[in-house]
Amino acid sequence: MSPQPAKYTIRLPIFEGPFDLLFHLIKKEELDIWEISIASVAEQYLAYLQSMQELNLDIASEFLVMAATLLRLKSKLLLPRPVDPGEEEEEELFQFKSPEELFARLEEYRLFKEAAGFFKERAAEQRKVFLRATGGKEKYMLLSGRQQQKSYYTYWEGAHLLSEIMNRFEAAAAARALAPAIDLFEDIPIGERSAHICALLKRSGGALSFRSLLLKKNLREVLVTLIALLDLARRRQVRLLQERPLGPILVAPSQKGA
Amino acid sequence: MSEINLKAIIEAILFLSEEPVRVKKIASRTGISIEKAEALLGELQQDLIEQGRGLRIFEVAGGYQMGSAPELAPYLEEAVGEEESGQLSNAALETLAIIAYRQPLTRLEIEEIRGVRCEYILDNLLKRKLIRISGRKESPGRPLIYKTTPDFLQYFGLKDLRELPPLE
Repeated sequence: MSPQPAKYTIRLPIFEGPFDLLFHLIKKEELDIWEISIASVAEQYLAYLQSMQELNLDIASEFLVMAATLLRLKSKLLLPRPVDPGEEEEEELFQFKSPEELFARLEEYRLFKEAAGFFKERAAEQRKVFLRATGGKEKYMLLSGRQQQKSYYTYWEGAHLLSEIMNRFEAAAAARALAPAIDLFEDIPIGERSAHICALLKRSGGALSFRSLLLKKNLREVLVTLIALLDLARRRQVRLLQERPLGPILVAPSQKGA
Repeated sequence: MSEINLKAIIEAILFLSEEPVRVKKIASRTGISIEKAEALLGELQQDLIEQGRGLRIFEVAGGYQMGSAPELAPYLEEAVGEEESGQLSNAALETLAIIAYRQPLTRLEIEEIRGVRCEYILDNLLKRKLIRISGRKESPGRPLIYKTTPDFLQYFGLKDLRELPPLE
């Protein structure tokens, strides 16, 4: 990170999130997290967002939510306390009832940010060491035969792939409430996907892995791709190959089609 | 079997393995005690350094693993290629740090600490096998919980999680 004064440079440091920015602002003041006043932090924070806006930078929603949170905390200090402490706290990213709570969280964030520095150093150190380990990469799998396969490659690749895909959806399921629902009545662009696969094959000049083609972000994408692949194979526009029994499946262009 | 032979066998086992090998496994394969295996591994580590060899034996992820000597990196980088993984972003490192110290925990718990949504980063870390889903939390919505993997230890050259420095 480069805590340069924003005056002379258009390139603003990239922050990993609102906490990162707040942390930066506090550090710039050379103050302890616990000494800072919420009013001044809020002002600086808003000024920063303003300069981002002037430069036409995209501001992630979290930054705006934090701006609102800071303003709320600041206004709480200015206004007389309500008789009934409002309980209508909404489900949101930053639920701080007091500046102290916010600062406590910033402090916690600082710990992990610094720990991340440790990991960065270790990773750099570790990158100097090259291992024989192939990390289960398929290209090596084909060369190294049966002997040193990672255990999950001893299962049928399809089963592994399926579990991999399902795991992704499980992970996504946690966030389902945030994701837009799939419109089941939408047209399914199989033809479009088929053309895309053919183009990919042409560009690669060889075979592509079935697995990599199917590793899509959402279920709909996976289904469309799978159907497109099967349809292409049925019409003999691609060939599905397997180098050895139970091995990875490859998608290759058909001989006549090429 | 003489000691030279035993050391040679251990060297070959480590050379052939793609993953860190546990001392227990080395001991049982060579039919010696764990203490003896550890002593021989220590000697082997020493031999490689003293003889100025290109390989080293590292203690990572609860086992021993052979790799190239770090000082040779400038000569090897080009041949091996960095494409392997690409470096982790600061955001990914932050997320990993949180998981490493607080595991097992949910995505929401991570996001509360970072103040940013982490879905995409978690996806990437899962794909790189640096973290894994270890189950569900018994709380409303039964959210998934995440943990670090042995690959994580390997990536950062750590013996085990106890090697993490205290948070401060």
